[in-house]
Amino acid sequence: MSDNAFDLTRRLFLDRVVQAAALAGMAQLAPWAAASAADPIGRDRVRLGVIGTGDRGRALIQNILKTRNCAVAAICDDYAPHLDKARALLPAATPAFTDHRAMLDAGGIDAVVIATPLHVHAIQTFDALDAGLHVWCEKAMARTIADCTAMVTRSQAAGRILQIGHQRLFNPTYLNALARARAGEIGTITQVRASWHRNRDWRRAVPPGSDLERKLNWRLYRESSAGLMTELATHQIQVANWFFGALPTRVMGSGSICFWKDGREVYDHVALIFDYPGGRKLVYTSLLNNARYGCEEQIMGHKGSIEPELGRIYAETPPRVPGLQQMRRDVAKGRRRTIPIGGATWFPELPVTTPGESLGWGEYDESMLQFEAFAEAVKTGTPAPGLLREAYHASVASLLGESAMDAGQPISWPSGLAFEKLEA
Amino acid sequence: MTEGHAECFVAMGTRVELHAFGPCDPQALRLARHEVERVDDALTIHRPSPTVTLNEALSVASGAAVDDPILLAALIETRVLMRMTDGLFDATVRQGAPRGAWDLDIARGRVEAEGPLAFDFGGMGKGLALDAAAASLRAGGVQSGLLSAGESSILAIGQHPLGGPWPIGVPHPFAPGTFLAELDLVDEALSVSATVDAAAPCRQPTLRSDNGAPVTAPLTAVAVAAQGARAEGLSTALLAASPEERDRLAQRHSGRMLCFRYEGRDAITLAITGELACNV
Ligand SMILES: NC(=O)c1ccc[n+]([C@@H]2O[C@H](COP(=O)([O-])OP(=O)(O)OC[C@H]3O[C@@H](n4cnc5c(N)ncnc54)[C@H](O)[C@@H]3O)[C@@H](O)[C@H]2O)c1
Repeated sequence: MSDNAFDLTRRLFLDRVVQAAALAGMAQLAPWAAASAADPIGRDRVRLGVIGTGDRGRALIQNILKTRNCAVAAICDDYAPHLDKARALLPAATPAFTDHRAMLDAGGIDAVVIATPLHVHAIQTFDALDAGLHVWCEKAMARTIADCTAMVTRSQAAGRILQIGHQRLFNPTYLNALARARAGEIGTITQVRASWHRNRDWRRAVPPGSDLERKLNWRLYRESSAGLMTELATHQIQVANWFFGALPTRVMGSGSICFWKDGREVYDHVALIFDYPGGRKLVYTSLLNNARYGCEEQIMGHKGSIEPELGRIYAETPPRVPGLQQMRRDVAKGRRRTIPIGGATWFPELPVTTPGESLGWGEYDESMLQFEAFAEAVKTGTPAPGLLREAYHASVASLLGESAMDAGQPISWPSGLAFEKLEA
Repeated sequence: MTEGHAECFVAMGTRVELHAFGPCDPQALRLARHEVERVDDALTIHRPSPTVTLNEALSVASGAAVDDPILLAALIETRVLMRMTDGLFDATVRQGAPRGAWDLDIARGRVEAEGPLAFDFGGMGKGLALDAAAASLRAGGVQSGLLSAGESSILAIGQHPLGGPWPIGVPHPFAPGTFLAELDLVDEALSVSATVDAAAPCRQPTLRSDNGAPVTAPLTAVAVAAQGARAEGLSTALLAASPEERDRLAQRHSGRMLCFRYEGRDAITLAITGELACNV
């Protein structure tokens, strides 16, 4: 995409975020959305040191480079081929490190961006906080609930911003859908059915003869990942919490290594039910050998459904057309008068997308807005309200789901969490 | 007394009503409903369909074959509407980005596209479905009928059962009981597009086809044409048009078109072609 085209799409995209943010109730539901559209404070860019320049880290670097208020001031990866690929995206003078502690010691950065495997998120966050830096970390937060909690409490104790990458919180389609759901358009929401189905083994190629299997395929091993739960379900549990306006009370589930019996340790097929107060449920499935139903959340109320990935809203009972009923009665009585019809009806859809990959915006999208919001939080010393809480609860729920599947028993929502209640 | 027959059902994401008057084959309404459902099956993007197959093909390649006759007809009508409206109407989407160019080779049944794009016939499909239903009803001997898909797409078959044209009043969104415009229809279709809805103020806007920008002005556009698909495409284009584009459209289209902008709760008429009784 050319720079001009990018600027145009950026503006249009922001317009949509602003419009969504301006809808009734959104100031409470997603205060960060409105803030992300504001002009940056001052001219200084927040200097970011990116730890982990694998697939996601490099996509994040490209997003950061498009922001108005962030700069990539250093990069770090302990795997040379990935560090080299990131170098190619940046000015040659950008300092590059193979150990994140060396990057912290070198100074010259205001915050770190962590895009490493799940099991090192917590220690890298702690090291950065100890060095007096702010932290932006990819979802999921950490490999254990205790570490997720410690990330929150230690960032609070250090007085530093901790923000977690959950791009749907900045996605105009989701923001719009949430506003419409809260306005009552689909009635009382009682079930969210969410799925993320793929048809591939989820493996990365490992150089033959190397001992890099567990490093490159960290997603497949339990010490470094909870598999589908932390990698995919986190996003969708966050969406369910958001639409229900509540947290799960308990979770039950079943997981199996059902299709890819290739030595992996994490489930390739999961099915879970998250109970919410009042008998509401999130019904979740994720698997790796059929992609027909792809990635979707079906948010179901008694008056209608919203499918945000498809960008669609459906009414259970499309309204009757009173003008036609009047016309039939008139004709039966031998009366001919003007038929009132053609009142403004809207396309029933949310902003349009279609099945399959999203079109147009590609990798520059709401991920970029997340960094703009992060930079403003760093500059003002004030976290975007509610953002960390949303991410934390999604991570906790995904790990709880893993435990429930492992135990083969329902598990209740734990106490002693960082945010006890839904409200801050 | 004139005998009335009706078939009401959900399709095309809305409530479809088919009303026929006078003698008619008892099967005619069922067959017409079947035609609407066939159009829905071909054009839907909410479940597997020829359109979804085409979109999936175009997300990875710059060209794709179309063998479904309904989809092909929709694409042909889209090309006609794009020409008539200088591209203001287009059934393709590229989320948040300007739409790319695409072409249709009718003889070979192929779509060629510049960059990834996808088709969404939401702005025309209801009209196409009513056209198909009307053709079926006429073939079944129906001489008087009124068909609707939601409130915004209406098609009249022949004359009102009591004689004379079908008198239609487009309600004023902010002044209950009054009409923005009253129109007489005989074997014609009417489409209404709007960016305002008193009942649902936070609906998502229509997007301009050239740059994807939302139409933010409070507007209602009304178009009458011989076919439902044509009327729908024209009302959508009219809604997205700048004042100059609106004038050009009005000069080019021989049918009736109307556009209203709202200042507060008052409607201001922006463009009229053809003979139309206008109440504001
Ligand atoms: N928000 C999203 O949509 C999204 C999408 C994809 C990935 N992610 C997240 O991003 C993170 C990374 O995923 P990925 O797909 O890029 O994985 P990846 O394996 O491609 O990249 C991880 C990188 O971290 C490096 N690394 C590992 N340990 C390190 C250490 N101690 N110090 C420095 N570098 C180290 C690896 O060498 C590798 O280059 C994960 O947390 C994942 O969940 C988020």
